[in-house]
Amino acid sequence: MNDHPDSESTAQESSVPIAAPIIEARNIVKRFGGAVAVDDVGIAVPPGEIHGLVGENGAGKSTLMRVLAGILVPDNGSVMVDGVRLEPGSTRAALEAGISLVHQELSLVPEMTVAENILLGSTPTRAGLINTRELKQIAAAALEEIGVSVDLDEPIVRLSVALRQFVEIARAIARNPRVLILDEPTATLTPAETDYLLDMLQRLAERGLAIIYISHRIPEIFRICDRVTVLRDGRLVDTADVAATTPQQVVDNMVGRELKVDLETRREATAPGEVVLSARGVTAKGVNGIDLDVRAGEIVGLGGLVGAGRTEFVRAMIGADIKSAGRVTITVNGREKRLSSYRSAVHNGVAYIPEERRTDGLALTMSVADNIALSNRHELSRFAVLLRGKIAKFARSLADTVGLRPPEIRREAGDFSGGNQQKIVLAKWLGRKPSAIVLDEPTRGVDVGAKVEIHRLIRDLALDGTAVLVVSSDLPELLELSDVIHVVRDGRIVGTLPGDVADEKSVMTLASGGTGLIGA
Amino acid sequence: MSQRPGITLGETRSGFVGRLRTTLARRTEGRALALFFVVATVTWIMEPIVFTSYQVTLGRIALIGLVALGLTAVILMGELDLAVASTLAVAGVVMASIDNLALGIIAALLTGLLIGVVNAFFVVVVGINSFIATLGMLFFLRGAAFVISGEEPVRLANIDAGIAFGKPFIGDLTPRVLLFIVAFIAIQLFVTRVRVGREFYAVGGNREAAYDAGIPVRRRIFTGFMISGFVAALAGVINTLERTAADPTAGSTVLLASFAAAIIGGILLTGGRGSVFGTLLGATSLGILQVALTLSGVQVDVQNIIIGLVLLLAVISDPTTLRVVLGNARAFIQGRSEIQPEG
Repeated sequence: MNDHPDSESTAQESSVPIAAPIIEARNIVKRFGGAVAVDDVGIAVPPGEIHGLVGENGAGKSTLMRVLAGILVPDNGSVMVDGVRLEPGSTRAALEAGISLVHQELSLVPEMTVAENILLGSTPTRAGLINTRELKQIAAAALEEIGVSVDLDEPIVRLSVALRQFVEIARAIARNPRVLILDEPTATLTPAETDYLLDMLQRLAERGLAIIYISHRIPEIFRICDRVTVLRDGRLVDTADVAATTPQQVVDNMVGRELKVDLETRREATAPGEVVLSARGVTAKGVNGIDLDVRAGEIVGLGGLVGAGRTEFVRAMIGADIKSAGRVTITVNGREKRLSSYRSAVHNGVAYIPEERRTDGLALTMSVADNIALSNRHELSRFAVLLRGKIAKFARSLADTVGLRPPEIRREAGDFSGGNQQKIVLAKWLGRKPSAIVLDEPTRGVDVGAKVEIHRLIRDLALDGTAVLVVSSDLPELLELSDVIHVVRDGRIVGTLPGDVADEKSVMTLASGGTGLIGA
Repeated sequence: MSQRPGITLGETRSGFVGRLRTTLARRTEGRALALFFVVATVTWIMEPIVFTSYQVTLGRIALIGLVALGLTAVILMGELDLAVASTLAVAGVVMASIDNLALGIIAALLTGLLIGVVNAFFVVVVGINSFIATLGMLFFLRGAAFVISGEEPVRLANIDAGIAFGKPFIGDLTPRVLLFIVAFIAIQLFVTRVRVGREFYAVGGNREAAYDAGIPVRRRIFTGFMISGFVAALAGVINTLERTAADPTAGSTVLLASFAAAIIGGILLTGGRGSVFGTLLGATSLGILQVALTLSGVQVDVQNIIIGLVLLLAVISDPTTLRVVLGNARAFIQGRSEIQPEG
């Protein structure tokens, strides 16, 4: 196993698996364009082990797993199953070798039944016709193995999100895997469902499966995993026995040192003013009555797990989605205005930068200048005619402010990288000099350099007296930016932490329900 | 291993009524069935002759429905085939241009298959959006039909066969209606019982998942377009036999009527949802409606207005769609703008 001694990460030496690994990845490198998503990472999992894989968003966890499952072809390195090199980039070869991936995005066919989905691609037939009896037998066996009972003839569309997740796992099980990879399987589950899933994984591991478990919920890792590998910015930071490490150590490894330094510099810069944006009892689908104030010059962070209702809340608050109850006001220059619709929100100086900027925030086939002109068209036109020269000047100065690279305002927005697209969205709104700005996952899928710049822009906005509300699943980001963090769970604010008190653990404790799941 | 988990599971209804409700809730033909009953009841009261002279009505349904059945296979995969009507015309002209009847029919059906292959080639291999690819084919084939026929209807050499074809074959059923029934059963079985056909739903419902599961998506799309082309050609053969001549302008109303039948039948144009039975219901409702309106002396133009309204009503009245429509309407009134904020 150690015929390439230099290939093994030094960190891995501290923890060598006892049994021979079923699956072993060596020196995996994967680049997307110029960005390195996975940089020389190795992982080895013996039978019966649950191996945790943790890291911040964008650390390369999902990319690494997609390489293991044969979905992506690595630029370097190899995946071995029982010491035999796997054909890279072949899902079929991976499946035949017994690697089963439970996707983060649910990959079920909505109108097909539970049984059909479990055996999708390997439907049993007899004389060309679907062998319904065998189909149901195999599907039922897979469901029984994970202890979930659900009507086999039910189409997926009629199942709850949680049940879909279990069907997805049943599908992986039906393939008789030797290696089971799960990517954030508990993101959409309730605590009870999560409990059940974790117990189930432990039972499967006892039967000799090698399980790779990706999660950003540290308590889950410490509850079920034998070893844990930490990735940061595509690199392997550490692989350790769970018994020999602590949640704090893992979190420190995930976060790294530099961001903590940033954390210190942030604190002094704030002196919040009057309340600008105020929400009272906002209720909507997935939101159960949230009160919240954002002051001028203040950055308020909304933390919580995916699906906790944060996005739903901000969308309902600014009127982008319908709220069933609640009152939202904005106060500018001492005049309080009620926000009744998205139009009135924008009109009164609220800027909203949505999560899905590619679909919601930008016209990708239009130039940077035209995108900027779209949300500032009244200032940039005379008698309803857009003034080209004025637009160019305006766009150029904004592109300069946000540090657009390359600074070519005639290029189509779709040509820019994710980080620079986000800068264009920011530029669009900066031109309007908003009184309040709401950002949902402002740096998701953005490279580290652009991330730093976007953070600087957000801070500058606050320094200029803008009220800032940030939703982020990226904990270090949330901790770094926020003056105060509200943690949302099940559509409610379950805790409020001042920025100088909050840390990864305290936010996570609140976000995950804080019960016995926490700590080790 | 078989202990019950402590999680909430899907609803399970017991008893006959409960099971019936569950079954109904799973079907996609709801609105097609409702529309069928409304149309049938109103027609029964206003124009009972539509049912007493059912041969005429069945012929009409078969005319609208056959092409729609083939189209269903393609739409289930989230693709469109706009070339069906032109395929019908070209197949007819090819058939009539060959003196030997059997050879002519075989040539016509092969033409349909070939057109399907070319369509799929542009969609799958070249990578052109199917709307555009088949729009191109629509024009190309329509033109080809005129060129081959010399811009004139081509008379069938064997007129006797044509006349015999229009006569009842089994009971009161003409060969056209029988072929329609056979096509319905074949395609229905294909997409429900045959693995390849069933996987059409996966290709249309979640193409990424289909790829990941190892389903040969490209091959499935080829199959779908070939079915659509073949069935359209079959419709062309039937038309030519009944009229004893092939008209290059044939099928000009077929394209829109067959899409209407499929949509009323509950097919989702983006794929993955709907059924062949639904398309049958949609075609039946449209057929009855058309015959009833014709017999009532309603002009063709006015008929089109009514059919257009029925199509819109049918689509809006789908329970799922209805929720979306209401939500959109509410949002519109509240002045929400999802796309671009108002300044």
